[in-house]
Amino acid sequence: MFTLIRGSKKEEKEIKNDDYKIIDLLKELDLPTETVVCKKDGKIVIEDTVIEDEDEIEIIQVIYGG
Amino acid sequence: MKTCTQCGSKDVIIERKHSGQRLCKECFIKGVNKKVLKDIRKNELLKKGDKVMVALSGGKDSVMVLDILNTYHERNIIDLCAMTIDEGIANYRQDGVDIAKRHAKRLGIEHKVVKFEDCFGFTLDDIMHNDPKRGACTYCGVFRRWIINREARNMNATKIATGHNLDDETQAVLMNYLEGNIENLTRIGPKTESRNEKFTVKIKPLREIPEREIALYVLAKDLEVHLAGCPYSSTSFRGEIKDFISQLSIKHPTMRYSLLKGFDKMKPSIKRDFTKEFPESKDCIECGEPGSHGLCRACVFKKEIENNITK
Repeated sequence: MFTLIRGSKKEEKEIKNDDYKIIDLLKELDLPTETVVCKKDGKIVIEDTVIEDEDEIEIIQVIYGG
Repeated sequence: MKTCTQCGSKDVIIERKHSGQRLCKECFIKGVNKKVLKDIRKNELLKKGDKVMVALSGGKDSVMVLDILNTYHERNIIDLCAMTIDEGIANYRQDGVDIAKRHAKRLGIEHKVVKFEDCFGFTLDDIMHNDPKRGACTYCGVFRRWIINREARNMNATKIATGHNLDDETQAVLMNYLEGNIENLTRIGPKTESRNEKFTVKIKPLREIPEREIALYVLAKDLEVHLAGCPYSSTSFRGEIKDFISQLSIKHPTMRYSLLKGFDKMKPSIKRDFTKEFPESKDCIECGEPGSHGLCRACVFKKEIENNITK
């Protein structure tokens, strides 16, 4: 399980498989990678980062579309 | 494991799709700083002794401009001040204003907050709640520019710095081209020029930096910013163009760069053939602001809105 933080919302989520990456999470949430910056345990990471057990993943919306 | 292409650090924060470059926080910040300083030099945006007024919304772009220009201020190359506009958009603008105030205080610079309500007698929300003829962005842009020009003179600034970024510039080029507004294209660039001394030169130090890298920069440097989007922005033509460019950039990640480079190559020719030569410009007969014939656009809009509100 990992913790997903979006704004003020926190939720526990399942890690779907061994190679579950931030980009997979973003695809599930239908979030274009260009519009967000992601942090893993408080540090900025790229979307190619694997999500591990007990990670705290924060998705910060930085760009708003039209 | 993906490592920083500059220093080998494994704490990569960005992978630039158009170049394959991967950078850690330190190398990214250093690289962006270097790029912006180079662009400031290349486009001759600043000279020693300038007093620069940063149009500071508290958003990521203007906070980054303030942060970078502060390095010149700290080295006594320029004087720095900031101005924040409060359009009176409920549940949105106040957060940005508060953040702007905190940054100005932290840097110890002169800061003024100017409200639409004090300048014109109504807020943007008032305009949009009273059967407006035009879109929010149309009114907002004209009124904001009016305030920026006037306040730059009030603050005795020699330059106005805005946070316009690569995304903004490419949207502007495409919007104007698609609408056939070739004369407007002559006005897009890193620095404005005007023969009228009432217009303060505007500079865009972040013009070649993509919007996402600005966001990354402010987050990497832990700068407090107002990230929320304007509630009125979803209704604009610019928003449609933004989505269009974003969509194309997925498969064509160099597109924003090539669009701007191509435009900058063409611009001297467009300027030569399409700049409208106005006869000696007269000030607005209502408010005295420069560059119009009869009433300026802000005064035309103001009358239109006042009519709507009293109806």
